[in-house]
Amino acid sequence: MKKILYGIMYSFKEIKNSKIFYSFLIFALILISGSYFVSQTSFINQGRIMVDFSIFAISIFNIFIGIFIGASAVYDDIEKKSIFLSITRPLKRTEYLIGRFLGLAAAIIFSTIIMMLIFYLVLLLMHKFIVPASPLAIAKAAGSGAKPAGVFSAPFTFYLMPQPLIIQGLFIIIESIFISAAALLFSLITSKALASVFAILVFFIGNVSSRMNDLVKPVKKIINGKVVIVHQANRVLAHTVRFIYTVLPNFSIFNISSEAAYKINISSGVIFYRIIYGICYTALLFIISSLIFRRKDIG
Amino acid sequence: MIEIKNASKYFRVGFFGTKKIAVEDLSLDIEEGKVTGFFGPNGAGKSTTIKMIVGLIKPSGGNIRINGFDASDYRARIKLGYLPENPSFPRGLKGIEIINYYSKLLNKKIDKNEIDDALKLAGIFYAKNIHAHKYSKGMTQRLALAVSILGDPEILIFDEPLSGLDPIGRKEFKDIIFKLKERKKTIFFSSHVLADSKEMCDRIAVMVNGRLIKNENLEDIESEAAGYAEERKDEGLPAEYSTPLEIYLYDLMLKSRKN
Repeated sequence: MKKILYGIMYSFKEIKNSKIFYSFLIFALILISGSYFVSQTSFINQGRIMVDFSIFAISIFNIFIGIFIGASAVYDDIEKKSIFLSITRPLKRTEYLIGRFLGLAAAIIFSTIIMMLIFYLVLLLMHKFIVPASPLAIAKAAGSGAKPAGVFSAPFTFYLMPQPLIIQGLFIIIESIFISAAALLFSLITSKALASVFAILVFFIGNVSSRMNDLVKPVKKIINGKVVIVHQANRVLAHTVRFIYTVLPNFSIFNISSEAAYKINISSGVIFYRIIYGICYTALLFIISSLIFRRKDIG
Repeated sequence: MIEIKNASKYFRVGFFGTKKIAVEDLSLDIEEGKVTGFFGPNGAGKSTTIKMIVGLIKPSGGNIRINGFDASDYRARIKLGYLPENPSFPRGLKGIEIINYYSKLLNKKIDKNEIDDALKLAGIFYAKNIHAHKYSKGMTQRLALAVSILGDPEILIFDEPLSGLDPIGRKEFKDIIFKLKERKKTIFFSSHVLADSKEMCDRIAVMVNGRLIKNENLEDIESEAAGYAEERKDEGLPAEYSTPLEIYLYDLMLKSRKN
């Protein structure tokens, strides 16, 4: 356990110092900060444009970090032979892989938090899309009426991000770690470039598979009290789409930008099941990676 | 200590997965407290053998045991230090950060003094606060050596430790190996430079085309070499080799390769 922990710290430090990581981070921060100017191009719904633009930037750059660093974390170690000194220590290969992967996950969490903080500051400066939360109001809501310890006596207003925006941040983390597990798996069986391409394809298909599946479903109508199929897609196509939909992960469930833009709260059940879905799929991909890595000749 | 029994390794190459044998039916015992030199031309299978010993690749047949454990078992590496050929380290980390990390991977607690001692012995203590990607090849090799000797392992395996080093670097590296030899470490190193054989080894193993063709004590092999040089004194000897041992090993490799 201690070795895994040191592995995570080492991996995180290495990724944090890598050029690709801070290039993506800086680029995302520029886009988030610039979302204000983008929103000025519209007369209406400027707040929504800011939110859409920033969420897109946070999401896409974290996905890029997940894909490109996920595909290179172990692959580069093998190519540059820096792995030789690690796994010839009294360390199990699985421990090494867990350290590398969780270090990458920590880097994704770190980058998302930084991006969300900058996004929060932009919203705060523009005074858009933030929800006031006064400590006195919180105390009253608690029902006692008395001031709880630690709450300022003077009226003081906090501004918070609305719940769906925070949940969107959480989903971006889950989604990016999820895709990085796929990139890691591909990098163990193919080259870094192909692993990145495959991971991008999985991400793309995972985002559209749900809609594709809806499209190939038979169109039914009720005519004279009976359900009649009025249109049916080609059977082979329908089965293929259904197979892809079933086997490949469904990434579209992590995109709640519409709810975030309209400040629609997400229920705890939905949040819980989507997080569990992401974690289970990531764990499955990681277990497959681990099995491949244990048998892999490194030379 | 290290027992290799009938180990073989083949790789599948090309589109049709043609079988290419790298090591064939290798049996070798590496003796405790001795320096064994593993010689052979490029592509003989030396690095493949070493990678099988340290658990980087798995043998296709036979078995390798270190202190009673299978080489693929992590416990086999508890008392083992390995210096790879052309080592490298990730970007953005200082020498001290790298060695600190590797010290945590050992099964015993390593204090700061032990880390400093390893860095001093490897001659890289002065550069410990410099980022490793700014190191020269010799400095990287020294840091890797410091990592491999960390925790005072009983067995040290060096893959081409002197390759690519300048004459001063080679001399200093040899001195470090001599120091480790004085401490009665079991050292197994590979090289294709025959001049390294006499001054460093207690035992010599020669591999050509994936097969072990010689595995003897230095004294025995030296007496064979002296007799061989005597037989060949009328023929023209290769100018680049000065000692009978070097000439003998050179001819042995050449003939075996032809065969």
